[in-house]
Amino acid sequence: MRTFSVKSKICDDVACLYLKGHLDAHHVDRFEKEMVKTLGNGLVKIIINGEQLSYISSAGMGIIMGYLDEVREKGGDIKLCELNNQVYEIFDLVGFTDIYEFLRNEAEAMERFKNVSAKA
Amino acid sequence: MFPPKPDLAVRIPPKTELLKMVVELTKHLATINSFEPSQAQKIALAVDEAITNVIKHSYEGQVDDPVAVEFYSSENGLKIRILFHGIPPHPTLNEVDLKQMIRDKRKGGLGVELMRRIMDTVEYSTRKGINCCEMIKWNRPQ
Repeated sequence: MRTFSVKSKICDDVACLYLKGHLDAHHVDRFEKEMVKTLGNGLVKIIINGEQLSYISSAGMGIIMGYLDEVREKGGDIKLCELNNQVYEIFDLVGFTDIYEFLRNEAEAMERFKNVSAKA
Repeated sequence: MFPPKPDLAVRIPPKTELLKMVVELTKHLATINSFEPSQAQKIALAVDEAITNVIKHSYEGQVDDPVAVEFYSSENGLKIRILFHGIPPHPTLNEVDLKQMIRDKRKGGLGVELMRRIMDTVEYSTRKGINCCEMIKWNRPQ
């Protein structure tokens, strides 16, 4: 049974990755594949939408951690939005909330990217 | 005090596709032991991380020996012991430096840190070739 899925959508130069379900070590390859595909397409402004993400372990967090430096070196960022409280608390436990921007919704995350582009 | 024998013990083949099953079981047992649902989910995550480490690092994806998970409950908390063979783990005692891990482009290394931040105690030991990860979460002040 498939308990995790990831879909992506591109709006202008921003890639939105929609995570759904239970993301653990068993499913992490699917998430990494989508991240690699996104970067391969030259997209470095990435929004991770976790509205339908019910669970994340360090395996999934590792993908978000492992590509941040590359993305920022290329002038982009990874922003997270719409996480439920339980998932947000897990990110907060290990300090992700000090390093990444967590936004209430996708529109806010898009706006943050637009503001940065406008200033650049 | 925890009872000398576990209230429940399960033996699980070391396969990542079974992690979710263990997470659900742990969550259920933690809830029965009076932990709030959000706390129960975190305890289940700690167990997920411990077993994932066994599969990836102690068994290196090669060993078929089952992993034993034992649950001990008391009115004050929940103790979980994870028993396994393979390479003894040597978790770092230092807190992780997330900024450095990001600079190093690391994708792993957060599991034990999560376990430590979620549980009140996390201890690894090895005796007669059997490795043990013992974790305790109290639901009342000690």
